[in-house]
Amino acid sequence: MKFIILLFISAALFFTSAALAGDQGFVKEGSKRSITLPAPNITLKEGPGRDVTSSYCRICHSLDYITTQQKFTKAKWMAVVTKMIKVYGAPISGENAKIIADYITTHYGIGG
Amino acid sequence: MESKGVSRRDFIKTVGITTALAATGTIPPVLYASERRLVTFPEKTELLLLTSSPPQLETPLKYFRELVTPNEALFVRWHLSNIPTSVDLDSWRLVIHGNVDKPISLSMDELKKFEKVGYTAVIQCAGNGRSFFEPPIFGGQWMNGAMGNVTWGGVRLKDLLKSAGIKSGSMEVAFKGLDKAALPTVPGFLKSLPLDKALEDDIIVAYEMNGSELPMLNGFPVRLVVPGWYATYWVKSLSDIEVTDKPSENFWMKTAYRIPDDPCGCVEPGGAPKKTVPINRMTTRSLLINPEDGSRLKSGQSIELMGVAFSGGYSIREVLVSIDGGMNWSPARLGKDLGRYSWIQWFYPWQPAKAGNYQVMVRATNSIGESQPLDGLWNPSGYLLNKIEKYNLIVA
Ligand code: HEC
Repeated sequence: MKFIILLFISAALFFTSAALAGDQGFVKEGSKRSITLPAPNITLKEGPGRDVTSSYCRICHSLDYITTQQKFTKAKWMAVVTKMIKVYGAPISGENAKIIADYITTHYGIGG
Repeated sequence: MESKGVSRRDFIKTVGITTALAATGTIPPVLYASERRLVTFPEKTELLLLTSSPPQLETPLKYFRELVTPNEALFVRWHLSNIPTSVDLDSWRLVIHGNVDKPISLSMDELKKFEKVGYTAVIQCAGNGRSFFEPPIFGGQWMNGAMGNVTWGGVRLKDLLKSAGIKSGSMEVAFKGLDKAALPTVPGFLKSLPLDKALEDDIIVAYEMNGSELPMLNGFPVRLVVPGWYATYWVKSLSDIEVTDKPSENFWMKTAYRIPDDPCGCVEPGGAPKKTVPINRMTTRSLLINPEDGSRLKSGQSIELMGVAFSGGYSIREVLVSIDGGMNWSPARLGKDLGRYSWIQWFYPWQPAKAGNYQVMVRATNSIGESQPLDGLWNPSGYLLNKIEKYNLIVA
């Protein structure tokens, strides 16, 4: 009998948590709404320049801004890195910009 | 088989795996550039992940089988990574200031005292379909899921502006939301409309989507709705409206979201325009939604092809369907008409007699004769995509 009751309770718990899953990360309390965003977790491919790229290119947005692009040449990637510096004020030195463009082109772009 | 259409569409393969989000609370790494994962964000069903911060999520096409897109399935697109994750309506205010007689600051209760209006309208990101441009273009690699058809409810922008009193000499109305950039060097997000546009009856400040409050990721508590125009103007978590006596110098108006100043909004593929203007009204589009591209069908079995068609604020007059790669075209039956801003569903009964590969094409025309080009037009930012889509159905 005890066993059956326990089973019943755990089934009820299971269904409660399943119902909550649809609202996962969302809280509504009176006049207040809040959400908790899943943390980005993108690991760039191994290779020279990866650490520089990972640390600078995630200051303002997640690294999937890089990994979900189509395949572009180095000239095009260099232009993007330059845009990040000139237009959005990314604090990246000219030397690091070159390292980053090389790295991205090798692993996510085309040509050398 | 039409190779181009197929390979472009195949470029981004949807990875049908659900993330272990519930367990870990993080987004797993992308495997390689051409894959899309399904993820679950707060108040959202499983959507296709473009970027996680700021979130950019695309709607799987299957949701467009319904005339109205459910709130939890509507796409998400933010520009700046500090998006509002918490809003308290007790302290939230919408301010209207600038070149006005009397600046006002409205609570949600005060806002709701203005006359309530509503309609169903297509919301579509300016870059919807960007991944199909050739040559390819940097930016969100959207397929066709950065759109939806939603019933909006709210108050007329015009009524709010009138209650603040627009001063003579006003030129534009500028809109800002609660989102902020990670670094102060990144230009704050702002969109502006010419004053005469801003005063049009149908532009609303919406506090309802399909009868419910807006999901946080779609701009809770209110967003601007500019029906017929691209969603870049539909500022989310709107908090600040400023009437100005000069055109905006903001980056998101002056540099970004611009199209070639040419009737086609296009240049030679790969080229650069001499002059640009801010993007505005949507082009006319039509899509096959069911069966999905690449589906396998049985010969001799009757099916009904189904899809959607819409344009930038004018009703759809006609949708033509070809099942033989554009040689012969026949009119599709149009579904329920929810007004000129909504999309309309089209239906086309078909019984493939023979086995083989069939190329389906769809072409819509609106009430002022705007239609879709056979070959894609190109522009440097990947906007306005409305070429006639090509789909392959395999009959066995
Ligand atoms: C100072 C902030 C900042 C930094 C640092 C930064 N970016 Fe960006 N980046 C932006 C903003 C803002 C956008 C536009 C976001 C949007 O519209 O969604 C953007 C967009 C992009 C895009 C999309 C294409 C485009 O032009 O909108 C790519 C690709 C990109 N960034 C790559 C990078 C790379 C690579 C780095 C590292 C070198 C980097 N970013 C670092 C701010 C930054």
